[in-house]
Amino acid sequence: MVKDLTTDVLVIGAGPAGSMTAKWAAKSGARVVMIEKRQEIGSPVRCGEGMSKEWLKEVGVTPSSRWINVEVEGARIFSPSEKVLEINEKHAGNEVGYVVERDGFDKQLAIDAGNAGVDVMLKTAATGIVRENGRIVGVTAKAFGEPFTIRAAVTIGADGFESQVGRWAGLPTNLQLRDMDSCLQYRMTNVDCDVRYCDFYLGKVAPGGYVWVFPKGDGLANVGIGVQLSQIKSPAEARTYLDAWIAKHPAYAKGKKIDMVGGGVSICAPIKQTVTDGFMLVGDAARMIDPLTGGGIANGCIAGKICGEVAAKAVHAGDASKEFLQAYEKGWRVRLEEKLYRNWLAKEKLCSLSDETFDKVVDALEGVKLEKLTVHNILKAVHTKYPEVTREFEAFL
Amino acid sequence: MAGKKSLHIESSGQLCIYCGACVGVCPLNCIYLDETRITFDERICTRCEICVKACPVGAIEID
Repeated sequence: MVKDLTTDVLVIGAGPAGSMTAKWAAKSGARVVMIEKRQEIGSPVRCGEGMSKEWLKEVGVTPSSRWINVEVEGARIFSPSEKVLEINEKHAGNEVGYVVERDGFDKQLAIDAGNAGVDVMLKTAATGIVRENGRIVGVTAKAFGEPFTIRAAVTIGADGFESQVGRWAGLPTNLQLRDMDSCLQYRMTNVDCDVRYCDFYLGKVAPGGYVWVFPKGDGLANVGIGVQLSQIKSPAEARTYLDAWIAKHPAYAKGKKIDMVGGGVSICAPIKQTVTDGFMLVGDAARMIDPLTGGGIANGCIAGKICGEVAAKAVHAGDASKEFLQAYEKGWRVRLEEKLYRNWLAKEKLCSLSDETFDKVVDALEGVKLEKLTVHNILKAVHTKYPEVTREFEAFL
Repeated sequence: MAGKKSLHIESSGQLCIYCGACVGVCPLNCIYLDETRITFDERICTRCEICVKACPVGAIEID
């Protein structure tokens, strides 16, 4: 028999955003309970496992060989005719970084949360929101199949892409067809990939998304694809496109698949609201995934730290109203929103390019040593070689 | 059900990989993922078919 319980802060979901939120709420003096529906934090992995690294210090994570497979030097963008644009660390402003073991990474963050005093409950799923006088005061849940209630001054939804908690709370997280990529990935062994780079193949090989190859060392790599839902014409196209791409690339066609994961990735503009009375939403659940790269870990962790700190402040102030929680709403937007919006615009533009135009852009940049990879510098380089391509962007030149 | 097409989620594991893509995209929040079981609420579902497109392995059919 599971007893009902009461806490200061309740975090639903023990992924990176949840563990980070829980850790910082506990470090800021709140009693924190974090629930996770699975039996094992971090598993099964649903991720390409590539991530940038410059933000880790900001959220208090120490890089560890326990979860880093490979530290890459840069990224390579392959145009439809496979002209290559190399982006090294200097160009990308530390945007590139590690290929990780996500289960190990998630466990590390959960360990950090546990060491900060967070109570972690496994096999515990939220089943509904509890409201009193219009404000959220906790959830109904099931632990090992048994129903019980958790009451909290602040409830936080960190339940990932498939978040239901955010929608129960009435926050605007619904996606249109164009706002989401359907993703599939194989972990493959015996492939010939360059461990110095994360590779991205764009164009009609993956409409509205890309094919990725993230090296894990020793001939092992994550080979995956994202395809925009609005461009999908028949079921299982993510798999069809990925298999077709692999078949055309001998370095990967000879590989052996040892694992397969799928999932959804949101590629939308920032949503309008992430807090309501007694409640905050964080990470993939709050659609904080970078719409250009599809990366969600860094943003989830950065927002998680802010979320945890604000939650603890709300507990101490005895005020978890929507107005008080605006500190989180404003905090994460100041830190992340401009880039999310800029990258959403860039993604919308990229999706509209024909393969031919895209080839020209990459061709114009090939061999050009750009000091910094800014939109302006890219347009200038393209304009020099293919002025007709940049006609519609002349305002930016 | 009269007037509604039939929606079928193959969730026995022959096709479904329990990734949750359909759950996250369902505009009516009526698909549920419970570890190795996916169910949907027949009464709420409008057969909008967005989940059919979201599924990376083609485990959802409408006819």
